[in-house]
Amino acid sequence: MRLRYILKASVHSIKHRKSAFLISVFSISVSFMMLCAIGNISFGIAAATVNRSLTFPLVVGPVGSSDTSLVMSSVFNVDKPDGTLDYGIYEELSADKRVRSAFPVIRSDSYQGVPITGVNSAYINEISKGFSSLAQNSKADDIFGEGGLHCAVIGSKIAARHELEVGDGFFGSHGHVGDEDAHEHSSFAYSVCGILNPTNSVEDFSIFVDLRSAWAIHHAHHHHDHEGEHEHEGGHEHEGEHEHEGKITAVLVKTVNPAATAALEREYSENGRTNAANVAKTVRQLVQYMNKAETAAGFFSYGTLVLVMLMVFVTILMAVNERKKEMALMRTIGIGRFPIAMMIVCESLFTALCGIIAGSAAGHAVLALLKPRIDVALGISLEPFYFTAVELNGIVVTAVTALLISFAALVKIYRMNLTEEISRD
Amino acid sequence: MEQTARLELKNISKSFPSETAGRIDILKDVSLTLESGCVLRLAGASGSGKTTFMNIVSALMPPDSGSVLFNGTDITRLSESGKDRFRAENVGYIFQTFNLLSPYSVVENVYAPLAFAGKLSGDYRKRAMQALDRVEMAEFADKLPYHLSVGQRQRVAIARVLFAGQRLILADEPTASLDGHSSGLVREVLLELSRQGAILIFSSHDTAFDLFRTDMTFNLETGVIS
Repeated sequence: MRLRYILKASVHSIKHRKSAFLISVFSISVSFMMLCAIGNISFGIAAATVNRSLTFPLVVGPVGSSDTSLVMSSVFNVDKPDGTLDYGIYEELSADKRVRSAFPVIRSDSYQGVPITGVNSAYINEISKGFSSLAQNSKADDIFGEGGLHCAVIGSKIAARHELEVGDGFFGSHGHVGDEDAHEHSSFAYSVCGILNPTNSVEDFSIFVDLRSAWAIHHAHHHHDHEGEHEHEGGHEHEGEHEHEGKITAVLVKTVNPAATAALEREYSENGRTNAANVAKTVRQLVQYMNKAETAAGFFSYGTLVLVMLMVFVTILMAVNERKKEMALMRTIGIGRFPIAMMIVCESLFTALCGIIAGSAAGHAVLALLKPRIDVALGISLEPFYFTAVELNGIVVTAVTALLISFAALVKIYRMNLTEEISRD
Repeated sequence: MEQTARLELKNISKSFPSETAGRIDILKDVSLTLESGCVLRLAGASGSGKTTFMNIVSALMPPDSGSVLFNGTDITRLSESGKDRFRAENVGYIFQTFNLLSPYSVVENVYAPLAFAGKLSGDYRKRAMQALDRVEMAEFADKLPYHLSVGQRQRVAIARVLFAGQRLILADEPTASLDGHSSGLVREVLLELSRQGAILIFSSHDTAFDLFRTDMTFNLETGVIS
């Protein structure tokens, strides 16, 4: 009964200051939407990053390449690779007893901003969760096998984004994503022979081709360019183009155990021919770095939230001022300070709750709407309806601030001069 | 309603700071005893201390010195929550104008003090309706206070006292803003409450109250109790 009375008084007060209430709820919602977005996007990036580090614990690349660049270019298919290394390094690693399996990769071309990665069939078998669509003459377990030189395997998100289907053809552009001198390899067409099932990882945003085609395309391109040079002056040149053949960008390595990873990392970093990066270690450093950014963004949002709550405090204090006489009457007819205090607490918590619910609902809805764009832009698979720790912390911050606000308002009630208020007319 | 009540004021003094005279004595060493059914009229000009007197006996304001005993309990020594409980259970305060809580309907206003005190029992709504019926306000039971005239609000405040069965009724200019009918009804119910054993303390400049049965008059300007 008491609670019903308390809630009724709180709702009545809110009804009598609708504008202030709606502004408060809107402000909290906007702050909460920011928290929601930061939390979900950070979580998506971290999840994608960590997943990949578990697949390939070690990556071996050319000497002089940085660990971060090596991991980003060969494991996550972003960033430009730093040079090349001999295919023999892959053969050497494959033969090593400490290596469970090794996968050579080449990064050189791109298609409409999407990097094209040259791999072998074993790599596709390792990273894929099967094909959603496969060409009739292609084998799922040996996609780049016989007749697979022009075969392109594309991720689910890329297929959807570029409306590519099995059998569609396209030309790759020479050069990496973002290169100013990138141009189309019109003499070498790829044909989509398989579309991967979604993996919620970087594969969804990748195009894979046969390793040999990456060599072949540059071989063909080299001859084509040299023919052209006879016809016009100032033709485009690729010095050392023929050097592409037999070269790869990196070798992704699955080791038999963590000790083997550590030993191989040391050996292949110190041999003067290659550099080796421990993917988990590099990713950990990256995630720590990202966490700092997330923390900074989080603090900004929490700060905004607290400022908004201060505004709520002012509006509640104004409401208390408006109702001082009524509160004095309540005391006069025997209603204690505690129920009156609870009315303020309920009002404050109800405002915060409405803000949280509205902000959270709007935040997740906006993330769901923008998911296709965010996924492609960041190379992640966003879970728009996942509640992250950032969001849960936001709920705690809002609720605690709402309670502190109530207590500050209560001081005013507890210090109220009853007789002065009741005799004021 | 419990029929017995006894209010004792022992050597009550109260003064307020003044810009010109340092402090002004409002009540000086006042002692009096009121038993069940007793009617005390407070007389004096505005500012003479009638409201201060009521605030002290209802534990809204502490005296500078002296004690106020209600049925043997010194209410000046009660805790804040004890004073709240004392008011909810024993004091029916009727003000000149501002009497009702705006969030609640008329009938809810009638039982609000006991609802908050957790003292509602039985068919309280039926009893609240009877109290409203007594002051001719039953048909407005579900209306909110802002729908009512000043006189109607005053009658609801009286119904609140009728419902709670409080034994100390404090009426501060209860008919000042009322029409003849409402004024008569208020006087009638107040008298009825005193007949049922409540102690009634009222102040009024309404001459109609001159015909009202009073057992005692306290002139706060002269300090004389007659």
